[in-house]
Amino acid sequence: MASSVFYKFSSQKNESRVTFDGTGISVFDLKREIILANNMGKANDFDLYVYDAATKQEYKDDSTIIPRSSSVVVKRLPASRPGRGKASMYISGAAPALPTSEPVQRSGSSAPTWHKGAMSKRFDGKEEMPSSSIPPMNPITKSST
Amino acid sequence: MADSATLSVTMLGAGQEVGRSCCVLQYRGKILVCDTGVHPAFSGMASLPFIDALDWSTVDAILVTHFHLDHAAALTYITEKTNFKDGKGKVYMTHPTKAVHKFMMQDFVRTSSSSSDALFSPLDMQMSLASIIPVSAHQLITVCPGISFIPYHAGHVLGACMFLIDIAGLKILYTGDYSREEDRHLVKAELPPIRPDVLIVESTYGVHTGESREEKESRFTTLVHSIIRRGGHVLLPTFALGMAQELLLILDEYWKKHPDLHNVPVYYASGLARKCMAVYQTYIHTMNANIRSRFAKRDNPFVFKHISNVPQTRGWEKKIADGPPCVVLASPGFMQVGPSRELFELWAPDARNGLIITGYSIEGTLARDIMTEPEEFTSLKGTTIPRRISVDEISFSAHVDYAQNSEFIEQVKAQHVVLVHGESTGMGRLRAAMQSRFKERDEDVKIHTPRNLETLNLSFRGERVAKAIGT
Ligand SMILES: [Zn+2]
Ligand SMILES: [Zn+2]
Repeated sequence: MASSVFYKFSSQKNESRVTFDGTGISVFDLKREIILANNMGKANDFDLYVYDAATKQEYKDDSTIIPRSSSVVVKRLPASRPGRGKASMYISGAAPALPTSEPVQRSGSSAPTWHKGAMSKRFDGKEEMPSSSIPPMNPITKSST
Repeated sequence: MADSATLSVTMLGAGQEVGRSCCVLQYRGKILVCDTGVHPAFSGMASLPFIDALDWSTVDAILVTHFHLDHAAALTYITEKTNFKDGKGKVYMTHPTKAVHKFMMQDFVRTSSSSSDALFSPLDMQMSLASIIPVSAHQLITVCPGISFIPYHAGHVLGACMFLIDIAGLKILYTGDYSREEDRHLVKAELPPIRPDVLIVESTYGVHTGESREEKESRFTTLVHSIIRRGGHVLLPTFALGMAQELLLILDEYWKKHPDLHNVPVYYASGLARKCMAVYQTYIHTMNANIRSRFAKRDNPFVFKHISNVPQTRGWEKKIADGPPCVVLASPGFMQVGPSRELFELWAPDARNGLIITGYSIEGTLARDIMTEPEEFTSLKGTTIPRRISVDEISFSAHVDYAQNSEFIEQVKAQHVVLVHGESTGMGRLRAAMQSRFKERDEDVKIHTPRNLETLNLSFRGERVAKAIGT
């Protein structure tokens, strides 16, 4: 049975969820899933901020693990440096080393999406599809409504 | 929030950028939002203004200036997907804006739901439309005790208004996009009869002053004619509504005067526009004297004699592209995807063809990138296409240029001027130019250029007496 973390953009009425295997998800991975699920990867004008839904404390460290079944609030705010938003960093695969012994296991269906990212282009020059840098909506994240 | 005698102006969009206009005004516990647009260079959630920065249930009213997507298209998301309806907020726009907004949004939902970008469903759109209160120009509307406003004509497009807002006695004029030049079908923007405390004004063209109407029109028609003579096709990427009607009026008249062109078709490729033509005909009484008098003589100016609609069949782009010389007005104006993009890709390799950019091109779109006349570009399919088609820019977009904007700003005589809806460099130059003009005349006027979410707090001395604006 997959685990979930529930998220809501602060202006949104309804919650959505990110599902994963394991007991928690890192803030980094959660941001990546949210960016992919909402197809925001192309925009360079914003940064995402994640807050605990109850305490309103920001998760400042991307390596923090959010336990499964938690609820978080997300804000899309202007990038601190205009035009230098960090969205692409989250989806390019440049994940920092996670200080946890429990890596987040992706479910099988999402793995191809991950490997079809910008990285694979370097190894296969023939794959010129522009859509290859914009993965399709990640099937493991879906709206709860 | 700032203290009660302070007006806070927060841009959720269009702060030092063009696109996703959304301006939040807070004064004495009241909250008003002017415009709810999307950013045409982005898609999905990322195209919305920075709406997470506001609790939408606390909003008293949303006023939408005109039907363009960069001013109106985020409205459905805000009314249906945020907690806006938990509050008492009302939504206002003029009758023609509401009529066209409906068609614009149907088209927006249809084109964005084909990808994973759909922000809302057709049902959401209907719910949102039902909550819009239509108003008329010059009507005094009381939103709730302490907030009232009057819409004034803004030129620009059919139904476009500026809003003269009164919050607890403080008067703010929000222009939206506006034009001070009478074109072929619209009246020019009005100068409101009273002096507001704050003017929030568009600055799309910064310090650029355009050529005269006559020069522009003759340059345009001459160019179109010469492309046809050299055996080429003319592509005019333009939004289905607004400027398209203006260009059609110009072309129809030119064709009438040039019988040698009568066998050269002018295509208007927009199902959306066909639907909206009825709205244009309904609101002829809001247009200028030229249009009204022609209509009175039973010469309906929106029944074009030399313009044909494209066939409604799939693949018409290819058929027309392979055919003899012609002129095509196709949307969207920025050529991101859709008919204009398809025709562009088909015609780009042939030097006989000509592309004329007739509107303001937003940063990050193909229409903007192509102005540098690159040797080649990447097609939607990812292949490289050589560009030999000629590229010209003749702007008919109904925005004020520097001469008109600076004159209007001076005539309004507000103590604070907030520049919005402009790119940061152009806006910076406009601010410097206005500051030196006011300095020369020894007038103390403050010019502000807030970025998105950089809240501007303006304090006003003395009690404002809350009273109705207007006469
Ligand atoms: Zn506009
Ligand atoms: Zn605009």
